[in-house]
Formats: sequence, C-alpha cells, structure tokens
Amino acid sequence: MTSTMASFSSTTPHLPSFSSSPKTRFPINPFLSLTPQRHLLFASVRATENGSGAAIVVEEKKEFETKAAEEDSLGNGAPVAEVVVKFEDPKWVSGTWDLKQFQKDGATDWDAVIDAEVKRRKWLEDNPESSNNDFPVVFDTSIIPWWAWMKRFHLPEAELLNGRAAMVGFFMAYFVDSLTGVGLVDQMGNFFCKTLLFVAVAGVLLIRKNEDIDTLKKLIDETTFYDKQWQATWQDEKKE
Amino acid sequence: MASVALKFFVGLRQSSPENHRSSVTVISKSLPSNQLHYRRLNVIAGKSSPKITGRNLRVAVIGGGPAGGAAAETLAKGGIETILIERKMDNAKPCGGAIPLCMVGEFDLPLDIIDRRVTKMKMISPSNVAVDIGRTLKPHEYIGMVRREILDAYLRERAAGAGATIINGLFVKMDKPTDKFAPYVIHYNEYDGKAGSAGKKVMMEVDAIIGADGANSRVAKSIDAGDYEYAIAFQERIKIPDDKMQYYEDLAEMYVGDDVSPDFYGWVFPKCDHVAVGTGTVTHKPDIKKFQLATRLRARDKILGGKIIRVEAHPIPEHPRPRRLSNRVALVGDAAGYVTKCSGEGIYFAAKSGRMCAEAIVEGSENGTRMVEESDLRSYLKKWDKTYWPTYKVLDILQKVFYRSNPAREAFVEMCADEYVQKMTFDSYLYKTVVPGSPLEDLKLAVNTIGSLVRANALRKEMAKI
Repeated sequence: MTSTMASFSSTTPHLPSFSSSPKTRFPINPFLSLTPQRHLLFASVRATENGSGAAIVVEEKKEFETKAAEEDSLGNGAPVAEVVVKFEDPKWVSGTWDLKQFQKDGATDWDAVIDAEVKRRKWLEDNPESSNNDFPVVFDTSIIPWWAWMKRFHLPEAELLNGRAAMVGFFMAYFVDSLTGVGLVDQMGNFFCKTLLFVAVAGVLLIRKNEDIDTLKKLIDETTFYDKQWQATWQDEKKE
Repeated sequence: MASVALKFFVGLRQSSPENHRSSVTVISKSLPSNQLHYRRLNVIAGKSSPKITGRNLRVAVIGGGPAGGAAAETLAKGGIETILIERKMDNAKPCGGAIPLCMVGEFDLPLDIIDRRVTKMKMISPSNVAVDIGRTLKPHEYIGMVRREILDAYLRERAAGAGATIINGLFVKMDKPTDKFAPYVIHYNEYDGKAGSAGKKVMMEVDAIIGADGANSRVAKSIDAGDYEYAIAFQERIKIPDDKMQYYEDLAEMYVGDDVSPDFYGWVFPKCDHVAVGTGTVTHKPDIKKFQLATRLRARDKILGGKIIRVEAHPIPEHPRPRRLSNRVALVGDAAGYVTKCSGEGIYFAAKSGRMCAEAIVEGSENGTRMVEESDLRSYLKKWDKTYWPTYKVLDILQKVFYRSNPAREAFVEMCADEYVQKMTFDSYLYKTVVPGSPLEDLKLAVNTIGSLVRANALRKEMAKI
C-alpha cells in the first residue's frame, strides 16, 4: 500500500497483507467529491487493490458526506447542519464539575462527583466529541480527595481480600495442625509454613478473578518480549 | 554525548592512513594488558583481513533517505568508494516529519530546511481533557518540522559533495559472495530519467552493502533478516483556513483514546502551509479508516473548513528485525526497524544509525584500505544497542503502561500536566539521552503516576457497571 500510495512508478510494491473487506463499498467515493483530479488516479489505483479492508459501515459514509458538505462550504452556514449531540449536564460548567452543586449536608458529596464523572466518560466513550479550544475540559480527578477514593474503591476490595485471606489462613492452619499436630504458634516458627503463608497472601492479592492467572502470565511475557526482539540479532553471533 | 561521538569521528577523518597504521601497531604491542579496549578489538579484526591493492573499499548504500544519505556522506568522507542507489529522487514520503533539536546540530542541518518550529504540544485525553506541554522549553529549543523531500535531497546532495556517486535506480537483488573476501554482486535497474521506463539492468561488484531502503527493505529480504510487526500510519494532509492555521503556528496535537487508536495516537502536525491529521495502529489495521474519521471528529472544530489535499499511508516498524546483519551486509534505519515505540520517531534514528554503520566500516577498513569483515559491522550494532537501548526500552515501557486502555490514557494526560514530567520528556526527546533526574522528584512522579492510574481504573470499573 505504501509504494502505490507514494508513487506510480513500475516498482513491485510490497503489499502488507490486508484482509479483503466483504463490503465492496469503497471509501474512495466521498474522496472523489472533495479532492482534485489527481486523486481520481489515487482512487482508481486503490480500487484495484484489496483496499485497506476497513470495516466500512453506512454511518461512516454518511458522516463523511456531511463533513464533506461542511468542508466544501468552508463552514459558511452550510444548509446541511449536522445535529451534533454533545455532552451536557447542568453540573458541568466551563469544562469542569461545579463542586458547589454537589453539596450535601454542607460538605461536598464526592461520591456524586465520581458518579457524574463516570457517566461523562461513559458517554464520551460511546459518543466521542470534538475537542474545542473555546470550551476546554480542565477537570482533574486529583481534586477528589484521596480518602474519598479509599472509602469507595479500596476499602470494599480490601475487605473482600482480607476475608479470603482469613478463610484460607484458618483452614490451612487447621489442616496443617490436624496432619502434623503442630499448633498455630509453632507453625509460625517453621520455615515451610512461613513460605506457605507468603504464597497464600501473594495468591490472594494477585489472583482476584479467574482471568488474573492468564493476565499475570501475559504480563511476565510482555516485560521481556521487547528485550528478546532486540537481542535476536545477537543470537546469530553466538551460533556462529 | 552526541558531540563526543562526533569528535571521535572527526579524529578518525583527520588522521592519515599512514599515521593511523603506526598508532595501530603501537596499540597491538600492548596486547598482554588485561584492559579490553573497544578500539583495540576493531584493529585486530582489521589486521586479519587483507589489504586492498589498487583501489579503495567499495560500499553500496541501497536507499537514499536520511539513513542512506547520512551513511553515504560518512563513507565518502572516510575515503571509501561509495555508491548510493535511490529509486525516486523526488519522493515526498508520507511522514510525520518531526526531527529533534539534536539532529540539527549533529548533522549540521541548515535552518532553512526546517519549515516550522514546534514549541508547544497539546495532549488530549479520551474525555477531551486537554493539557498544554512545552512551558519548560527554553527559547532555543524546538521540535523541527521538515518536508521529507527537502531533507532527503539535502542529505543526498551533501553525500554527493563528499564524493559519493548517486544513482537513480532500483535495487533488485544481490549475489552473495562465493569466497570469504569475494565481492557481492548487486543487480539494479538504472533509470535514465525517462518517465515510465523500466530501466537498464546493471550489475556491480561491491565489498559491503548498507541496506537503508526502508520498511519494505529488499536488502533485508535478501539476507533473510526476518520480519517485524509494523504499525500502519494513515495521514491526511488538510489545508485549513488561515485563522485556524494560526492556532497551529507552533503547536502540534496528540489525541489519545480507543476511538482514535487502540494502541497508538492520533495527531495533528503543522506542516509548511497545511496540517497533517493522522493516526496509526498495529493491532487493528483494517479499522484504520474508522480511526482516521474519529481523529478528524476530535479535531473537527479546529480544522473546520479544511480541504483534504493528499492522503497517504506508510508502515512503521515496531521493533528491530531478528537479524540486522549478515556477513558484510548491514541494515540501518527503518530497514533495521529502529523506530521508537510510544512516539513512533524514526528520522533521527535512521540518520544516526546510517552514520554509525558507516563509521564502523570506515574504521574497520582503515579508511578504505582494508577489506571489512562481519565483526567490523557488528561493532556498529554493539555501539548502537549500547547507546540507544535505554531510550528504546523506556519508550516501550511508557507505551505498555500508558497506551493500554482509556483509563491509562487519561492517567497519561493527567501526568503530562506535571512540570517535571514535561521537562524530563522534552529533555530526553530533544537530546536523545535518558536523563536521570532528581530521585525525590522521581519518587513523587512514581507516586503520582500510580495515583492517576488507580483513579482512572477505578472510574473505569464504575463505568463498566453502568
């Protein structure tokens, strides 16, 4: 795709292997309405390839056409006024949350601020908006104090994990005691038991969901993958 | 650090072959010493290879971009018979076009090559939190925006001025040497200037080859260098009205978000008289058009009324090829895969690797009087890996941590508001050294980073519940 895009010379291009899209609605059609003559050539060249295999959907074309209309008319009161749904909320003032509107019993209700921000981010994820210089977003999550985060997110999770650790600990201690007769206090003095304790605590901390086992394995691979790629050329030298 | 490297090279150039060889013998006499000296290692290798009589060492540089141009210039200055083969002399390559400040100094670039000096950047998070960075830049510091056709042509002309022969042609294949010191035979099609002609088939004998022919390198294929993962960068050049262009006078923007790219970023870079709006991805290449539309949507208010004047795409290597060297053929630049993660920067590293490889050849061949061996070229790889490995690794870690997901990107943009981060980022980008910084500030930074990441991830978990 590179070579054909960059030049029309008779070089044999190295095409990266794109999968061909089942939808043959080429995106080049909108281009034709916008770009000068030269791009007709671009368009036809690309039409003969597999194209970029982009997942082209109807909405895309429609949005592009309305944008084309906007761009063509240089923004001079285009008749095609696209209704842009923006994020709006009475508590969202000048690009940040107006804390005065979140008062509860004389103090700021931080939980409500967190809820509001969550809703805003969810909305924007589904409906991305243009960033505008006249209405900059300046909200910073660090204005919410650390104890509000702790109370809402850390403490419930900590309770859960401590509960798990306690249950595992109790039954492991009972189990070891019933097998070996070594009481809890004596177990703490034994190296093997201390290792078991460490493994139990680490396990409870790291593996919180079933998927975490895979995630951990992938993370370990990831940390060393780049290094391996760089050292690949030196494997040759060792072999020779 | 860079200037030290430059001085080292200058020293090499000024010493004549005679003096150089006598100093060589002096060093070799002190062989029994236990100090393992980098220079001495090279000399021993050079001594075992035969002297060339009647001619100088011949090296072919395939590809005339920044890597090829820099390599050819260094080789020619080192007294080596150099030919540079470039298939399209006026190639306006699709490229971000950003060069760091150190490149201007290290490569003696004239200031009129630089179209624009970017001194401000805006990072925009998925929820459109916008952060301005660049407050910490000193008045003389900037990111240079260049037109590739101008930069590449300038470097090639300088190489020609130093004595390299520039050939307009297309490299087809190479014949490996049958003997240890036998020459390589390269086959290329020489273009005679007539448009559309297939060119004349030419064969040439050379002693070493530098593959600087870019991401789809044929030289790499010939030496079975292996493949790399690559990102597709897609870019549209848009001419916007003058009042909107004023905003981008010296400012570049970076948009992050899942809508814009799942593993890279979308950008608006100012060029000579228009802006380049683009995005890239490694893992979701078929969706690149969707990402481009999303990028244009995010920048919509700022590029309203613009006309697309050109559309282009190019591959960006993600990591070096498994094999960057084979006998007397070495890869440099994009062909080797020297593009950083996180920022996708490649021009400076291409030119620098071209120069480093050429320096290694000049030194190993003692200014073209001796044959080179694989070990001489390996010293270039060693020096390169040693000098730039920290930079690449740090950028890799940054990409892994901050381009992972929307919460991570929100945290990333939040961190960019911090002045210490800005200073560190720009210092390491502009001067290409990983600056240690003060430990206390680093600790604060670590704590703040973790805090940002935790907050953003906590918000995301809540989002999943809605």
